[in-house]
Amino acid sequence: METILDVQNIHTFIGQYHILQGVDVRVPKGSITALLGRNGAGKTTTLKSILGLTPPREGKVNFEGRDVQGMRSFDIAALGIGFVPEHRAIFRDLTVEENLKLAERKKDDYNCKREFIFELFPDLKRLIALPGTSLSGGQQQMLAIARALVADNRLLLIDEPSEGLAPVIIEHMMSAIRQLSKETTIILVEQNFLVASQLAEQYVIIEEGRSVKSGAMKDLVNDKAAIHRYLGAA
Amino acid sequence: MNTFIRKNLVLLIILTVLAALFIAAAQGMDNQDFVITLLRGLSVGSVTFLVASGFSLIFGLLDVLNLAHGTLFMIGAYIGWTVYVRPDTFVDLLTPFALTLSGFALRDVYPLLSAPKPVPARMKRILPWALILVSLLIFGYILPRYPIAIWNVENYAQSPVTYAFMTDQGTRLPFPVVAFDRISPILAVIGLPFASILGTFALSLFQRNTEHAIRTTWKSFIGFALLLIIALVGFIFNDTLTQSLAALNSNWLFFTAIVAATLSGAGLGALMEATLIRPLYSRPIYQLMLTLGMSAVGIEMVRAVWGRPEFVMPKPAFFDGAGEACPATTFADWWANKCSTILLLDGRVRVYNEIFIPLVGIVVLIAVWMLLQRTRLGMVIRAGVQDREMVEALGINVRRVFTMVFALGVGLAALGGILAAPSMGLSNVMGESLFLNALIALAIGGLTNYPGAALGSVLVGLMQQFIIKYGQIGIPIPFTEILFKPTPPLVPASTVLLMVIILLILPNGLLGKKE
Repeated sequence: METILDVQNIHTFIGQYHILQGVDVRVPKGSITALLGRNGAGKTTTLKSILGLTPPREGKVNFEGRDVQGMRSFDIAALGIGFVPEHRAIFRDLTVEENLKLAERKKDDYNCKREFIFELFPDLKRLIALPGTSLSGGQQQMLAIARALVADNRLLLIDEPSEGLAPVIIEHMMSAIRQLSKETTIILVEQNFLVASQLAEQYVIIEEGRSVKSGAMKDLVNDKAAIHRYLGAA
Repeated sequence: MNTFIRKNLVLLIILTVLAALFIAAAQGMDNQDFVITLLRGLSVGSVTFLVASGFSLIFGLLDVLNLAHGTLFMIGAYIGWTVYVRPDTFVDLLTPFALTLSGFALRDVYPLLSAPKPVPARMKRILPWALILVSLLIFGYILPRYPIAIWNVENYAQSPVTYAFMTDQGTRLPFPVVAFDRISPILAVIGLPFASILGTFALSLFQRNTEHAIRTTWKSFIGFALLLIIALVGFIFNDTLTQSLAALNSNWLFFTAIVAATLSGAGLGALMEATLIRPLYSRPIYQLMLTLGMSAVGIEMVRAVWGRPEFVMPKPAFFDGAGEACPATTFADWWANKCSTILLLDGRVRVYNEIFIPLVGIVVLIAVWMLLQRTRLGMVIRAGVQDREMVEALGINVRRVFTMVFALGVGLAALGGILAAPSMGLSNVMGESLFLNALIALAIGGLTNYPGAALGSVLVGLMQQFIIKYGQIGIPIPFTEILFKPTPPLVPASTVLLMVIILLILPNGLLGKKE
């Protein structure tokens, strides 16, 4: 299968801390890849390093055949990468519609995609004029994902979509992500192994800043020893 | 509605108390005093607002406390004054200035030149310094020989003070005539951009490792071309421009001065951000030191060029008329005579200071508000104030927006400076007290809140003017015969007191949001 993103041995420092000490991630086009690992393992930093928000000091990041490490983060994102951060980062002073419009890279991006977005998240349609402050956690998560869909993104980086959400809403979110994966490639950071194992086809386990294990998700699900060792879950 | 009242109870109580105090203050004086004091307060508040709003936009988005903002306000006034009183100097400066800066506009092109070729390590270290040296030598040769008609700070008869005074009297002193006699004009016009490109290219070599993937397109050349066009127009049509500016009637010349000062301020801001502030985003303490130092440097530069003494900025004819019907009581009278003062509820109100400045303040308030609420740039600014990283992750070049916001903020300060000049006069320190006012206004209104900046500025302006007025008429203390007259030092103190009280109750200011 064609590789859309190839991360090779990246090393990232935050301040003087050596956070990533060699992470490799290969993402085949059109799939969902889960980054797994314990708290503080470096999953979020990996996403941010791909986008250049915390630029890697060593190693290569190749997106669609183009080396992007060292590029400015907004230029990387503009190549076609959407980011749904942890804690959603909804703009409080902007309305829901403005939040979506801000993500436009071409004129009319929003008008072209709005039907698709509202089909995926019908709730957003009636909230359109409200300020970002007044949304619930689940609504914020929907908006954060919707925002990454406005522009023409071929790769979505989604960080902890299920964090702090009620089970019913997690269900909804999962079906939305599954539907999205038909059109775009997705990298998912997820603490909740149950959610990750149902969504993803591949996995990469990151431990103490290194990628230690990767492969097909269906193999990992049966490998109880590995799950216990790396994720601490049964 | 009920929840709104409950949420903002403290704010509403404070506003009520302020309004009550205001009414009490109004009761204590005659109608005419009240109207004048009110309008003066609004006028001071408007100028304060122009400084405060720019400062708060910059602080909100860039997290830069621009301590040079007061100095930039003053520089705006001096630039505007130069356009108004000595248009010849302004026109003469246009060409060398644009050419000197032209290299900066090519910033995005340099990485293309420097990236691919492998150079020996020693060359790599020496080359930038050598280029800078060559560039400085060329500048040092050309700039002092470039002919610029200017005043003479040392000689009283030709000093800015005299020019200002004579213009105010309605006679324009003849401009000194200068010509290219110490340098060939072609050498000057070619040498300056050459040196500028060399110098800025050398500077870009120092930081080439960080940004090697900037895409160079035809857009990267727009700024350079624009500066060259400005320079060439200023060079070829030098005399024509000077004469047509000098021949303008004072109203249009004043308008030109306002536009020129605002644009120069904006340009200065953009340059400051791109060259000095940008390398220091990760080091806030250095930024503070830098802007504080620049404020001192700016004041000294103004002293070196315009001299120490204060001087006046003449008012344009539109606001300076006199006639039998003045002070005007009707609109028709005022319009016919362009009276400098009108009678409003028996009070003599100066049209420029007390009507025009607040009007401009309101127009700017609305214009910037529209910019923030209705445009994409405004949307990016509002989003960026909250979360810069996320805006970048959406693929938006926040740095370009930073430069624009810095330019906008400094442009607003410069606009404030030129507006205040005819009423305050020009002095090296005119920015300092106003900057302090602006800081207090922002603390009162909420540091990064735009409507808060307006509210705080008006409160500060009103407070000061009412205390000044009561310094003249005295406040009767209840149950005693004593008349309390606030002394002048109490004027700034009163605004600080207001700030302290408000911050004790609402630590984020009146409209500031809790973090």
